[in-house]
Amino acid sequence: MEELQHRVDKIRAGRTGLDNQLIDELVAGRISRREFIRRGTVLGMSLGVLGFLAAACGGSSTPSSTATSAAGAVRKGGTMTVGIIAPSAAVNPLTVADEGGLAVLGQAGEYLTWSDDKLNLQPVLAESWSPNADGSVWTFKIRQGVTFNNGQPLKAEDVAKTFKTHSDPKGGSSALSAFAGVLKPAGVEVVDDQTVDFNLDAPNGNFPYLVSSDNYNTIILPANYDYAGKYESSFVGTGPWKMTSFKTGAEVVYGKNPSYWQSGSPNLDTVTLKFYADEQPRVLALQGKQLDVVSQFSASTGQPLFNNPGVKVLELRSVAHRQVHMRTDKEPFTDKRVRQAIGLLLDRPALVQGLLNGKGDLGNDSPFAPVFPSTDTSVAQRAKDVEKAKQLLAAAGKSSFTVTLATWNGYEIPLLAQTIKEAVQQVGGTINLNVTNPSTYYGSAVFGKSPWLDSTMGITDYGHRGVPNVFLSAPLTSAGPWNSAHFKNSGYDALVKEYVAAIDVQAQKAASKKIEELLLDESPVLFPYFHFHMSGTQTNVAGVEPTAMGHIRLTKTGFSG
Amino acid sequence: MGRFVLRRLGLAVLTLWLLATIVFVGAHVLPGDVGRRILGPFAAPEAVATLNHQLGADRPLAAQYWDWLSGAVRGDLGESLSYRVPVSSLLGSAVLNSLKLALVAFVLVVPLGILGGIAAGLFRGRAVDRIVTVGGLSATVVPEFVSGIVLILVFAVQLRWLPVTAQAPAGSGLGTQLRYLILPAIPLVFVLFGYIARITRAGMVEALEADYTRTAVLKGISQRTVIARHVLRNALLPTIAVVATQTGYLIGGLVVIEFIFNYQGLGQLTFQAAQKLDFPLLQGTVMVMGIVFLLTTLVADIGYSLLNPRIRYGRTE
Amino acid sequence: MSAVEEVSAELDARRGRQGRRAARGERWRVLRRSPTFLVGAVIVGFWIVCAAFGGLIETHSPFAVDVLHRFARPSSSHWLGTDELGRDVFSRVIEGARGILVVAPLATAIGTVAGTVIGLVTGYYRGAVDDVLMRVVDAFLAVPAVVLGLLALVAIGPSNITVVVVIGIVFTPIIARTVRAAVLAERELEYVQAARLRNERSPYVMFVEILPNVTAPILVEFTVRLGYAIFTLATLSFLGLGIQPPAPDWGVTIFNNYIYLTGGVWWPTLFPAIAIASLVVVVNLVSDAVTQVFER
Repeated sequence: MEELQHRVDKIRAGRTGLDNQLIDELVAGRISRREFIRRGTVLGMSLGVLGFLAAACGGSSTPSSTATSAAGAVRKGGTMTVGIIAPSAAVNPLTVADEGGLAVLGQAGEYLTWSDDKLNLQPVLAESWSPNADGSVWTFKIRQGVTFNNGQPLKAEDVAKTFKTHSDPKGGSSALSAFAGVLKPAGVEVVDDQTVDFNLDAPNGNFPYLVSSDNYNTIILPANYDYAGKYESSFVGTGPWKMTSFKTGAEVVYGKNPSYWQSGSPNLDTVTLKFYADEQPRVLALQGKQLDVVSQFSASTGQPLFNNPGVKVLELRSVAHRQVHMRTDKEPFTDKRVRQAIGLLLDRPALVQGLLNGKGDLGNDSPFAPVFPSTDTSVAQRAKDVEKAKQLLAAAGKSSFTVTLATWNGYEIPLLAQTIKEAVQQVGGTINLNVTNPSTYYGSAVFGKSPWLDSTMGITDYGHRGVPNVFLSAPLTSAGPWNSAHFKNSGYDALVKEYVAAIDVQAQKAASKKIEELLLDESPVLFPYFHFHMSGTQTNVAGVEPTAMGHIRLTKTGFSG
Repeated sequence: MGRFVLRRLGLAVLTLWLLATIVFVGAHVLPGDVGRRILGPFAAPEAVATLNHQLGADRPLAAQYWDWLSGAVRGDLGESLSYRVPVSSLLGSAVLNSLKLALVAFVLVVPLGILGGIAAGLFRGRAVDRIVTVGGLSATVVPEFVSGIVLILVFAVQLRWLPVTAQAPAGSGLGTQLRYLILPAIPLVFVLFGYIARITRAGMVEALEADYTRTAVLKGISQRTVIARHVLRNALLPTIAVVATQTGYLIGGLVVIEFIFNYQGLGQLTFQAAQKLDFPLLQGTVMVMGIVFLLTTLVADIGYSLLNPRIRYGRTE
Repeated sequence: MSAVEEVSAELDARRGRQGRRAARGERWRVLRRSPTFLVGAVIVGFWIVCAAFGGLIETHSPFAVDVLHRFARPSSSHWLGTDELGRDVFSRVIEGARGILVVAPLATAIGTVAGTVIGLVTGYYRGAVDDVLMRVVDAFLAVPAVVLGLLALVAIGPSNITVVVVIGIVFTPIIARTVRAAVLAERELEYVQAARLRNERSPYVMFVEILPNVTAPILVEFTVRLGYAIFTLATLSFLGLGIQPPAPDWGVTIFNNYIYLTGGVWWPTLFPAIAIASLVVVVNLVSDAVTQVFER
């Protein structure tokens, strides 16, 4: 016991003030072990140290997702076939914007950090990182002894060039919107051969997620890489896999990268990523034993797999969700009581059970999903209350109204729309559905030219992120480019700034509590649920590491038994 | 004959040009934004503008049309806007794949259909006839997506006799490729069997009742020889006619089958090109379909007139 | 032409018309006695009743979600079982008839009307008009229905109107060709010459004189195309280009439910498939009977 305490003290002596603050929270029981580990990785502490401290000082831990398949005893070598969503366009680190493309990028390419299935950050090409006192400058130490698969050694300037390109307004990068307001190209600084400094526009406590695998375009490429060139002919990168053949629209085959920096990895000899444009053929192929792994399917398409003993389903708690927006500047939603009423009409547990087969978390009309450590779970969960809804509508003088709801016909979205339509009918409202396809619904994605941003009511699908920052700002702040509810609330804007700048968990939670309560009160957007991310493998496959983002890491993958 | 062919070829070129223009106009009716489609709704507008400029999608329509047309005439179909590879390379492999599938279907259905039609005609009114005729009709009207799904579920998932998808792994031998193509070919066989059998049957019946048959039988020649000599030759005619009229429809059927079986053929490519607003690719695929259709009808017409002396010297148009 | 010849030509024409009318009456009688026609007509009639009075037949609302009773097997409370949201399959199949039975005939009718007009014009005028129009027609003929559907989707966006337009456009060339061929034959007959000599205007000659005499092939084409329309509509809906959700269209329902077949849940897929097949088969039976009778 004393020995243990001595070791803990030694560790604490060598850590910064912020780190020690975090440890204090853990000891005082104000955060759970899981939250401690997560926050700790953001601050740059290694998982090993965190694990030790959590065990030594920590209190309770909360259950997490049914992980990656355990990397138990796997045979060395072998060939595996993985079915993924077909990349929708050319695979180019600048322009990839879809799950298929990012899954391909993540094989031969690597990121500074890896955002894993538990939303922890693991060091990859960055060995360690830490913020300055107020979180406005983050310093990253780059791993040494790494070479690109074309022989070039990895240096700090390669990292700097990568991020300068993606944050450049003229660079044409799909990742530009992630860096807007956070980082400018001039803020990326090479301190020395091993160190890169990111000088941010404003303090940001969650910055390391922006340079992780969550920001899937940012695979580290050589400084002399020509971004206008064809990535598909080279697949240059530092990752465990080396491209042997690539056939547009069909598949990409990888072999082991002999110069990979992690010795003994990867396990398999060859991996083939087969492209499938649709879910059903993918799932059928898994059942027909034509695929060893299937990277992503929805709860409804995957239904036949759940009770199938011949298949393993990997489930991840993800924060992907649907946003039901109501324009605060258009009738009948100008009065917040009407918006609250709509929120009270939804039977959320039934929605999760019915639309998602139970594979989801309840949403409480804010971006704060239960799985985020900074979510304040003490805020009461909104539940169905038809009587209260009727009262609110009557008080607002809107006992009957007609609205058009626009959205697109994918996944369970039309069913959600139908459910909302029927729920509203109960209280005298009429919703006319305008269900089209993604290109029509999103249009040009700017105000005035997009049903997504112009419609009075609509449903939009949002993908997973490791932290709620982008969900808090872009769709809900007054100047947010994705603000389909036209929600302009200066109090909210200020709270978001507070949250983003907060570095320690308690400060974040203080802000998040106020945000959650404000959003429940104003209800510009409904968040009915957060749906899980599911992949599947044959029973003899182990060590597959999917992420809710859509990545699928195959470094430790192999055949068991 | 030569003038006939030349005239048809000339008209075909005109038709193709019309087709290209129709596709171009249709594809640009709705204000579409290729850059936005590629980068998705959440990308920054500046990034979209940069990409559109790189792709040349922000130039005036007339300039884009002229560029494409002048290139196409020289055989250069441009570059796919989404995949950034030459359209011709994508088309090449897609057409090859679809051809393989169509070939397997034809090799299966033509003998089956002709045999069925002969049997139905020979044993007219009896059980065989009923089975072939009714069976053929029923099979024809089942939409390909229904038969395709049922086939996958029974033979690929439950019984595991055949693969779920149609694409054999790269470098597979002919035998393996064939194994992968059997299941997707069957819905096509269903659709065509009824027509071929029916017309062959009609030809059989007509030939059996014809004077020359009776004469030959009276002369002592066995019915079998008569059938072989006259009837079979007439059986080729309806097959060619069916091929000609059904080609356009078959190509459409390919879209559905390639979708279900995840097969990178012409149908699947067209589908994806339309969804992505990838104009060069879309125009390329529709051009190829047009060419295939026009060529097939031309060859069928020539073949028909060659085999049927009665119309060879008939008035054209 | 002398007055005598004029009068005799007119008498010929009238006799021709009467003769044709009489022939038409007789054809209908033969049709009514054909068993294939009767069977087909009865089943088509059943579906029409479903489309028109679906609300009275349905046991539940086709849209009522009942999460507690998902994937229920067919039973006395749900005759054809329930789907993944607990919705009653029987009611959804009945409700789905309306979409197809409105869109398919409408689209076929549009195609028939457009095709007839083009056929009449090109067959009557011939020359440059014929050449140009038929080339445009050929261009559309070279494009399969599904591909046209894709193009229309790109051009106009998905909706029920798009589907009607697409199928209409697909059928116009085929019908135009048939009508044109018929008109080419008719225009050489005496009653047409007579009308032109009477200085009747061209539209009159086309629509009043010639059209009634080519109704037989038009009718045949309409019934044949109707079967194709239903087939094509189901396929387009399956691909997402046809009738839009959340309408319980049969093609869409099959697309959403076929994946459950491997889990042993066959009823949400099988019954819409039977519905499509039955409708296409009987429409084909009817058109077969009509073809045989009217092409004698």
